[in-house]
Amino acid sequence: MQPFHYSRPVSLAETIVSGTQKHSRNAEATATFLAGGTTLIDLMKLDVMRPSHVVDLNSSAREFSAIRFDGSTLRLGAFAKMATVADHPDVISHFPVIAQSLSLAASAQLRNMATLGGNLLQRTRCAYFRDPSWAACNKRSPGSGCAAIGGVNRQHAVLGTSKHCIATYHGDFAQALMALDAAIMLIGPDGARSMPFASLHLQPGNTPHLETSLRPGEIITEILVPDGPWTRRSRYVKVRDRQSYEFAVASVAVALALEGSMVTDVRIALGGLATTPWRAVDAEDLLRGRRLNEASATEAARTAFAGAVAQAHNAFKISVGQSAIVRALLETAAMEAHRG
Amino acid sequence: MTDTRDICTSPSTPRRRFLIGSALTGAAPLIARSEPVAAAEPADTSDLRKPTSVDIHVNGRPFHLELDTRLTLLDALREEIGLTGAKKGCDHGQCGACTVLIDGRRELSCLTLAVSAQGRDVVTIEGLDGGGGDLHPMKQAFIDHDAFQCGYCTPGQILSAVSCVREGHAGSPEEIREYMSGNICRCAAYPNIVAAISQASEQMGE
Amino acid sequence: MADTRFPQATGTMGQPYRRYEALEKVNGSATYASDVKLAKTAHAYLLTSRIGRGVIRSLDLVEARAIPGVIEILTHQTVGESIRQTQALYTGGYVADSVRPLGSAEIAYWGQPIAMVLAESYEIAREAARKIGVSYDVSEPASSFDSAGVDMTALEPMNLGVGDFKAAYANAAVKIDARYSTPVQHHNAMELFATQCVWDGNRLTVYEPGQYLNNIKYGLAEQLGIDPELIRVVNPYVGGAFGAKGFLTQRTALVAIAARRIGRPVKLVATREQGFFLSAYRAETRHHVQLAADSTGRLIASSHEGWEVTSRADVLALGGNAITLRLYGCPNIEGRVNVAKTDRSTPGFMRGPGEVPYAFAFECALDELAYALKMDPVELRRVNDTKVEPIAGLPYTSRSLMQCFDAAGAAFGWAGKTAAPGSMRDGDWLLGWGCAAAFYPTQAGNSAARVRLSSDGRVHVSSAGHELGQGMYTMMAQVASEQLGVPIEHVTVSLGDTDLPPTIVAGGSAGTASLAPAIMSACDAIRRRLQTGGSPAADVMTAMRASGLGNIEEFAETRAHGLPPESVQGMYRGRVAMSGGVHLPDRVQLAFGAQFVEVRIHARTRELRVSRAVGAFAAGRIINPRTAHGQLVGGMIWGISSALHEQTEIDERNASYINANLADYLLPVNADIADVQAIMVPEEDNLVNAAGVKGVGEVGTVGMAAAIANAVYHATGKRLRDLPLRIEHVLEEV
Ligand SMILES: Cc1cc2nc3c(=O)[nH]c(=O)nc-3n(C[C@H](O)[C@H](O)[C@H](O)COP(=O)(O)OP(=O)(O)OC[C@H]3O[C@@H](n4cnc5c(N)ncnc54)[C@H](O)[C@@H]3O)c2cc1C
Ligand code: SF4
Ligand code: FES
Ligand code: FES
Repeated sequence: MQPFHYSRPVSLAETIVSGTQKHSRNAEATATFLAGGTTLIDLMKLDVMRPSHVVDLNSSAREFSAIRFDGSTLRLGAFAKMATVADHPDVISHFPVIAQSLSLAASAQLRNMATLGGNLLQRTRCAYFRDPSWAACNKRSPGSGCAAIGGVNRQHAVLGTSKHCIATYHGDFAQALMALDAAIMLIGPDGARSMPFASLHLQPGNTPHLETSLRPGEIITEILVPDGPWTRRSRYVKVRDRQSYEFAVASVAVALALEGSMVTDVRIALGGLATTPWRAVDAEDLLRGRRLNEASATEAARTAFAGAVAQAHNAFKISVGQSAIVRALLETAAMEAHRG
Repeated sequence: MTDTRDICTSPSTPRRRFLIGSALTGAAPLIARSEPVAAAEPADTSDLRKPTSVDIHVNGRPFHLELDTRLTLLDALREEIGLTGAKKGCDHGQCGACTVLIDGRRELSCLTLAVSAQGRDVVTIEGLDGGGGDLHPMKQAFIDHDAFQCGYCTPGQILSAVSCVREGHAGSPEEIREYMSGNICRCAAYPNIVAAISQASEQMGE
Repeated sequence: MADTRFPQATGTMGQPYRRYEALEKVNGSATYASDVKLAKTAHAYLLTSRIGRGVIRSLDLVEARAIPGVIEILTHQTVGESIRQTQALYTGGYVADSVRPLGSAEIAYWGQPIAMVLAESYEIAREAARKIGVSYDVSEPASSFDSAGVDMTALEPMNLGVGDFKAAYANAAVKIDARYSTPVQHHNAMELFATQCVWDGNRLTVYEPGQYLNNIKYGLAEQLGIDPELIRVVNPYVGGAFGAKGFLTQRTALVAIAARRIGRPVKLVATREQGFFLSAYRAETRHHVQLAADSTGRLIASSHEGWEVTSRADVLALGGNAITLRLYGCPNIEGRVNVAKTDRSTPGFMRGPGEVPYAFAFECALDELAYALKMDPVELRRVNDTKVEPIAGLPYTSRSLMQCFDAAGAAFGWAGKTAAPGSMRDGDWLLGWGCAAAFYPTQAGNSAARVRLSSDGRVHVSSAGHELGQGMYTMMAQVASEQLGVPIEHVTVSLGDTDLPPTIVAGGSAGTASLAPAIMSACDAIRRRLQTGGSPAADVMTAMRASGLGNIEEFAETRAHGLPPESVQGMYRGRVAMSGGVHLPDRVQLAFGAQFVEVRIHARTRELRVSRAVGAFAAGRIINPRTAHGQLVGGMIWGISSALHEQTEIDERNASYINANLADYLLPVNADIADVQAIMVPEEDNLVNAAGVKGVGEVGTVGMAAAIANAVYHATGKRLRDLPLRIEHVLEEV
């Protein structure tokens, strides 16, 4: 770990407001925000992240840790802890896919530490990215190549890859947000703004080092999730090699609106399979207005992987991903039936 | 609001300017950028190595420490305060051996910077009993059920188990197993750990 | 117990006492090596090689040295000849691999230490280590079996056989011919590889978790060229070992030299990642098994050939087929072992070293044979049960294999099995049942112990044994308590210190079998000292009070059956000498068991879980059923883990390990372990050793992977022959 300046401003909002008046970009060094620290400290110990300023947001962020549901929108403070949101009664009953995506992630200790904002911005677990002694990693050092292509890549993505980077986005919560069309609120030097969550993460293309569309100095403050006929009938299926405390081999967030067995609306997002949080739009289109059954679910699942590109060790993810979609769709449909 | 825990005392960056610079303008998140590793570092890093003062409550006692900002809470407890009950099993949040209670919740001390534990209440295995002389029911249950072998993961297991009960996640063996999955036991005392927690959970009356 | 050696008075041996050190462990006050606080400690951090094979061209230390707080940096330029060449453990020496620590610019494997930084703090040492510039001349490494440049050798001295396998196999009615493989695995004890060294004048004290402290002491003396009596190794608690801590690794001599050079105590706590290279591991293996039977299921021919990976520096071959081929009666047998020399660190012993991989192959093949014969796999084993081992016709000292199958099968409900693959289901989950035999050689080594009886009734028992979690403290207390007829609360124990009488390595499940007889012998000596009328005192305390003595202290050493007299000398030099198993001239000693499992496989997404496991084990006398139960259950879970989770992944480009951490190297978590039951089948064996103990540390692990793979076949109709069994292997082909 490299030495760094550490500071802990007490009021984020006030600091931001005063900062937005005059904003200079001649920072002499990179600075990085510290929320729960479970991604940042981990990567700093590995020298993958080497900020020279660490700005601890934990004192100033309290105002952005509330959870509120007013019947039409769920507002989640970006500094709320994963565990708190996972255990929140409104989230459990109205947005089960969110609660499940959080409670199936990491461990109880990590969920007590990690924040929603930090969770969304967690970085890939690509082994070559995490070990700077591998020279070739376009994400760490642009233009250096990609050690994972041609290396050990069972974990890596099959969707949204490029020839420059195949690193998986491993977060679970993001898939629930993708499925539910969430938006995020930001505050930064240029003021406050919002954006659809779906436009936060960037596919690697030929710039894998650019991971998000956040502007320098911007902080995620809140996550907004609209209520809809599908939110209560939603579910998160996470497939992994061990039962708990592991990232997904493949995961699926599904939200369904049904009339009888007819799909009036459906949302499908895929985790562990793609380079970014991933919405399977074509699969959704195929199902809308059709009956949900084994055959249509299977067809949708195939569609979702139409553009998939496998590496030496991860071709199985296409078929596990397809099975997971079918399973998630049918289980979600059954869940509706149980509710009568 | 001017109160800040700004520890940068570099003469070239006056205190006030640094606050703004770090929290706002300079706060270019690494997320959106490549990391120009070496170039990003200030030419002179010696000021970064100056110890920072931190006040932490550990097991009810206040500690005032002068620390390298890089020190984790785990190493501060073990190396500076001399409480070696919390163990290092991975140093990366992957095993749970370093679990302590921070403000009453189970967290991983290896991924917590000691400086960011400023003002917080930390309870380690050494402080769990709360002074009365009696063994905590969870410790007793671990003995009764032989819920360990080598004992290395045990302090973390016990603190995690106490939290598991307090959080209300010890309702059934299945729930205990899931919510205790953040503590790896290589000796694989898992069945006995689950039995111990079931017993203690009744005695803790929670 | 019929054995008259054991006084009937207290019956302490055999009671489920709580662990002697339980309170220290729950209170966090048990001091592991890295917990010891020494004054003015300097912190060490290792820099390890990032190539698989080659030569260091240059090291640039300028930037690292410039960091305030850096005290010293050791490299091959400054260490070189100061650490002497010693032999690897496997060739009668002490070290895990015979590559000298920082001995030269030569790189033999990825992860080999290439520098050690000493600094005022861990943070500074780590920062500085990463500022060291290294340039290499790289050669292409051979990473595993199929690499170019791998050196494959048939180890002819390990050939086994009887009868005419080829002819018998060729003519048989029912045959199985299958190939299996097992992956690289690492022990990953929760405790990291830590070492602290402090010099007091010319005396060195080492705090290091070890399974064999005297090996550290004498090996280090040889490496440093000093009198062993100047070295003391202390280690009262080990945070798990499983075979990884049974010898000197590269780190100890470096820490010792560093502490001497800077004149301060030095502490090294290697990272988890470094631990994957610093100590040994279970190397990958391949197997070819051929079995033939007549129509009643009797084996006519069996052959088991193994291939194992070793390093270029040292040849280690485990040859577990020396046991698998002796498990069942069979007239025609052939066994061979081959090793592939690769550019990796030297592998070693990991819980059930040869037994686990070879049992996987052999016990799977037996299941395949049972299906081919349309026979119940338990019955197949019953038909081939034998009283003598089939190669030399030696008798088993005791053999309770079928009792174990019957006990575990009954508890499991095996009779309710439907035979056809894919015939059991629970909702979305496919169910499968499988079984396999477990076995482990009963071994022992020489041992010494000291017992002191005081007139107030207190007893102190001491030996340089090791508490790894197996319950060594408790066992020692129990044996002394029973032998002297004093309450166990009056017994105190010292272990984990080379100043105490030596005992053997805590490995090979031989710790209790070796040390208990020595304690018994010392207690006997006390009773003889208190003799009345020519026979040893029956009531020791009454005799002690009558004697008017304040203390009696006796030292005893015992030699294990099958070891030559000279081997006792070796014990005092930290040598590993163990005998037993299938390597005795007069008999075969094995502990047996039977594993039954139920697996569940999700019908769509193919997650594979073990929902139920029942094992029954017969291992002679159980001194403490409570700690033994922990060992057996723990062993079974290790077996589950070796079947479903653990695999160290190699990047062939530089023979590196890609998942050297606990997030990617999967160990089971609590949620993976649903219902694991271990049954102890009573067994009396007065031949194996004076204590009648066979050892329970490893047998629980053996056979589990085969039982699971067999259950997967039952669930799906798919034979999986390569471990670990993962989602992609159970998936339907797309
Ligand atoms: C062993 C292990 C297992 C895990 N398993 C899972 C899993 O199964 N599923 C899963 O989803 N995750 C998993 N995680 C990842 C974990 O959930 C993330 O590390 C965590 O959510 C990050 O949150 P944090 O608050 O700790 O972020 P930090 O580490 O504090 O921050 C992460 C990054 O985001 C930036 N940041 C944080 N908050 C904000 C904000 N509000 N605005 C702008 N930038 C911000 C920081 O600057 C930093 O760059 C695992 C982690 C570990 C160590
Ligand atoms: S996959 Fe991406 S993150 Fe991984 S090595 Fe390649 S470029 Fe780097
Ligand atoms: S040491 Fe903190 S989780 Fe392993
Ligand atoms: S008791 Fe040894 S790791 Fe849990």
